[in-house]
Amino acid sequence: MAAETELDPVIHAPARLRVVVTLATLRDGDSLSFTRLQELLGLTPGNLITHLRKLEDAGYVTTLKTGSGVNARTSVSLSQQGREALNTYSAVLRQLLDSASTNGTSPH
Amino acid sequence: MLEDQDMSVQEAAAVAQDARARARKELLISRPIVYTAWGLVWLFGYGAMWLSVRGQHPYTGPSGVSIAVVFVLAAFAIATVLVIASKTVAGIDGKSTRDRRIIGSTWAIGYLTLLIVAPVISNSVSPRTLAFISFAGPVMLAGLTYILASVLGRERPPLALGAWLVIVGASCAWQAPAAILATCALAGGGAFLLMAVIGTRLRTHGS
Repeated sequence: MAAETELDPVIHAPARLRVVVTLATLRDGDSLSFTRLQELLGLTPGNLITHLRKLEDAGYVTTLKTGSGVNARTSVSLSQQGREALNTYSAVLRQLLDSASTNGTSPH
Repeated sequence: MLEDQDMSVQEAAAVAQDARARARKELLISRPIVYTAWGLVWLFGYGAMWLSVRGQHPYTGPSGVSIAVVFVLAAFAIATVLVIASKTVAGIDGKSTRDRRIIGSTWAIGYLTLLIVAPVISNSVSPRTLAFISFAGPVMLAGLTYILASVLGRERPPLALGAWLVIVGASCAWQAPAAILATCALAGGGAFLLMAVIGTRLRTHGS
C-alpha cells in the first residue's frame, strides 16, 4: 500500500480540523451536542453547519437529530472512517513537518 | 491546490495541538482533582479515626467526632466530583454516559450495603471483624469499582489503582483495628494522592 503524501483537503481547513480533533477526544461511541461543540469552537451556528455538512458528506462525522420543538437536540460524533482519516492526516502532517525540518524549508 | 487550504503545515500542527489541548481540558474529567479529593478524604478521615482509637485498651471504636469528620469530608468530595463531572460532561452522550451510571450505581449499592450490614452484625462478630468490614470493606469496594472502570474504559491507570486498593483492603484481614485505620489512611489515601501527582504530570506533558 502506498503511503499518503498529501493532506486530506476535507480536514485541512482550520475550522474542520478543530471539529475533527475535538470530536476525536471523545471515546468511541460518544457524541457531543451541537451547542456544546459550537461553544467549544466559538463558531456561529451557520458556519459550524457548513463545516459539519462537508465532513458528513465525506463520511467523517454523523449527526443525529432527536426530539422536536424546544426539546430538539442535534448530536455530532466522529465516525470510524473519520477517526482513521484524522490518524492518516496526523501521520502525513508529522511526515511533512519532519521533512521540512530536515530540509530547512517551510512547506505550505 | 487543495480546497480550503489556507494554512501552512506548521499552522495546521498548531491548530491541531491547540484544539486537542482545549478539548481534553474541557471534555475530560480531571482525574487529578478526583484523586486529590478522595485522597484527602481517606488520609484525613481514616487518619482522624485512627487518632481516636490509638491507645484504646480495650478497643471500643472510633469517636463520634472522627466519624463525623469522615462524613463531612466525603460529602465535600462527592459534591466536588459531581460539580466538576456535570460541567465537563455536559452535552456528551453515549457509551461513557452509560458506563458512568454503571460505575456510580455499583459503588453506591456496594457502599449502602456495607452501611446497612455493619450495624446489623455488630453484636454478633468480634470488634476486629467489624473493623475489617467497616473500614477495609469500603477500600476493597473502591478498588473493585476502579477495576470495573478500567475494564469499561479500557484504561490502565484505574486498573493499577483498583488492584492496589484491593490488596490494601485485603491486607487488613491480618491487622488489628487501629492498624487497619492507619493502613487505609496511608496506603489508601496515599495511593490516591500519588495517582493525582502522576496524573498531573501526564497532563502537563500532554500524554
